[in-house]
Amino acid sequence: MAELIIITALLPLTALMLVTQTNPYHALVIRGILGAIAALVYALFGAADVALTEALVGTMLSITLYAVAVRSSMSFRLGVLEPGDEVLPEAIATALRQGLQRHHLRLERVGYGSEEALEGAIARQEVHAIFQSSAPATVADAQDRSAQTSAASHPPQLHIRLPRLHSLLQGELSPELAHLKLYES
Amino acid sequence: MNWILVAMIIALCIPIYEAWQDEDIWQKMLAFGSIATKTSIMILVISVLRDDWMIGVVGVLILSVGNAGLMLLAHVLRRLNQL
Repeated sequence: MAELIIITALLPLTALMLVTQTNPYHALVIRGILGAIAALVYALFGAADVALTEALVGTMLSITLYAVAVRSSMSFRLGVLEPGDEVLPEAIATALRQGLQRHHLRLERVGYGSEEALEGAIARQEVHAIFQSSAPATVADAQDRSAQTSAASHPPQLHIRLPRLHSLLQGELSPELAHLKLYES
Repeated sequence: MNWILVAMIIALCIPIYEAWQDEDIWQKMLAFGSIATKTSIMILVISVLRDDWMIGVVGVLILSVGNAGLMLLAHVLRRLNQL
């Protein structure tokens, strides 16, 4: 009888472990552990059908579906220019990735062919932010040399569409690395 | 024969502690796999102790199919950093 009580006590113990997790992926793994313990407790009390359902649906199916949902929703989509030297510098990408990781978000780069396509993407809400490495294209077209000097003095700009993401990233990126701006359509 | 069950409960506490204190996701997955197998073996032991074939069949099913969830989750987590 004593072991019955100990096994049953494992269920609230793992449930408590589950609700104290902050990382969603860790919580999914602990949910799997909770499901396994729950299946054991149900089988112990003679409810074999409930145990089987908990193991197959409650653990296997729900964890897989939630993992896919969390993976596709908790990402920061950043629009960048695709070709050549205009891509995201590694220092900024690393700083962004570290800042986002603190909030369990993932950095996802979306490439676009031109400056107009980039602007269109943030206007159509396809991406959460766009990265512009230097001064606007009109200035760069006119005088190549002066555009380069202005790029050296002005840091690259990160236009963020959502105010919450903007406030989260405010302290993470140093101002000389990239300038954060809230996008207004 | 109940001492077998008590020994298994003590063995079950080791991966639970590991899953609780380790921050690495793969260590947590290892602990999850360990717990999933241990609990289904415990269901099998209970079925033998009670001579209940219905619980025994469920234990075999959980033991063979239960780890598929672990595999699916591992594949999703492995491809997390590749995107």
